Amino acid sequence: MSFEVNIAGVKFSNPIIAAAGTFGFGIEFRRFAHCLGGVVTKALTLKPRSGNPVPRIAEFNSGLVNSVGLENPGLEVFTRNILPRMKGLKCRVLVNVAGEDVSEFVRMAEQLTDERIDGLELNLSCPNVKQGGVLLGQSPQMVEELTGAVRKRTRKLLVVKLTANFVDPAESAKAAEAGGADAVTVINTLFGLVLNDDGKPLLGGRTGGVSGPAIKPFALFCVDRVRAAVRVPVIGCGGIMNGKDAFDFFCAGASMVQVGTANLVEPGGAVRVAKEFKTLCQKKGIKGLEEIIGRAGGGK
Amino acid sequence: MAVVADSLIVRVAKTGWLSREIVSVWLEAPELAKRTKPGQFFGVKVREREDLLLRRPISVADVQGDLLRLVFRVVGKGTRALSRSRCNEEWDVLGPLGRPAPLVKNKDVIVCAGGVGAAPLLFLTRKLIAKNRVWILIGARTKQELILIPEFRQLGARVLVTTEDGCAGKKGLVTELLTGVVKDLAKPVIYACGPKMMLKGIIEIAGRVQVWGFIEERLGCGAGICYCCGIEKREGGYLRLCQEGPVVDLSRVVL
Repeated sequence: MSFEVNIAGVKFSNPIIAAAGTFGFGIEFRRFAHCLGGVVTKALTLKPRSGNPVPRIAEFNSGLVNSVGLENPGLEVFTRNILPRMKGLKCRVLVNVAGEDVSEFVRMAEQLTDERIDGLELNLSCPNVKQGGVLLGQSPQMVEELTGAVRKRTRKLLVVKLTANFVDPAESAKAAEAGGADAVTVINTLFGLVLNDDGKPLLGGRTGGVSGPAIKPFALFCVDRVRAAVRVPVIGCGGIMNGKDAFDFFCAGASMVQVGTANLVEPGGAVRVAKEFKTLCQKKGIKGLEEIIGRAGGGK
Repeated sequence: MAVVADSLIVRVAKTGWLSREIVSVWLEAPELAKRTKPGQFFGVKVREREDLLLRRPISVADVQGDLLRLVFRVVGKGTRALSRSRCNEEWDVLGPLGRPAPLVKNKDVIVCAGGVGAAPLLFLTRKLIAKNRVWILIGARTKQELILIPEFRQLGARVLVTTEDGCAGKKGLVTELLTGVVKDLAKPVIYACGPKMMLKGIIEIAGRVQVWGFIEERLGCGAGICYCCGIEKREGGYLRLCQEGPVVDLSRVVL
């Protein structure tokens, strides 16, 4: 049984990877990173960011709403202090890049050339920032322009993480493909508002991004829809908590999946998901991903 | 950088209510009991409620032999479900999380507890009492919400009690007791756990006295990964409660 995935020449030993912001920089999980195909780092910005006011997380039935606001040490500290420690990681590394505009994305892509970095994931979908993030991702035209601009500056695997907030992710995916993306990640968190007992916003950033099992049916819908619209591989993401959830995303058309919220429930939860997925496939007698990708029959 | 711990399944050895809202759960966890230090806490999964995703942060009130004593107040669905746990049930716990509280030596130590805030201070006091002179100031709204007083007394600390309605101890607030105690001491150290208002009041009274406060914030992963549990620093930016806290020098943070 082989679950190896090859995206634009980059081989992933298995199709389960950890989503940005839920697995640190991978080094925190060094001893079991090899159980995953890869990790997407915490979103990185050009300058350090202190993030949004607290509280930054709220829970509702079967979901979370977060408003971290991309707290991160910035590109320079990452390159100097963190990247060297990522050398020994036994899985693929994608750096999640969150610029405020095209020029910032380009500058970061130009600097993220280290051979340890296997690819970049452009964050055009964070709902918790006032500039960049979802504001860029809501315009397919901007998605194409930005992807194209970064494509010209990097030869690394280029993934674009799309939003489904008030924009058709299929249109955004086509735009990313036209700009030269090697794959698209579908979807990032959805807009959400949580109120406290007094009817006031609970989160310090006022609104947040909804994740977890509650968004899985919608995320599956988006993967199914996006796969029908583009030729590049789709990386499914949204509410994957166990092996069966992952299985569903492949059936909807994903070529790889990202696990996010499950890592907050138990640190390194993506590793459990990967094991469960493998066991499930063995039980079902599935020998390769091609047997299940797109099984749901949408689109193509 | 955080080193991530695995979660463990441990057995509930004993449970009991300390007040109408506050529960005490003893877990049989020899290995964790050995490793846990005052100030640390555990992330407890609400196993029977799959719809409640996040672990509940619960502080360690005491460690005795192989047993860990966790004490928490019922504040919502998750803690309500946990409060119904019975003896021999299994809990899924992640920890010990957080940085241990710094332990001083040869000092006059004032421990200020508000309501359920007394819980983590019991374990701390157990460690401090041999090498320091310790005063315990415990307050609550009313007598029924005062917890762990016999345990504190057993440790041999000087225990002063206050309630807002005056039905036990002196009528008033912990901060009022503190004003009385702190003025007679040359260079005391304060440890405090309780509502934010209480901590704010303590800072005002403390002046230049060092205050270590136990901070409460909504927790995400508990492992330093998600950056959800920020504590705002005076100089700007945030500390992560699960890494640099929950016990922090109160002069460094914004309450």
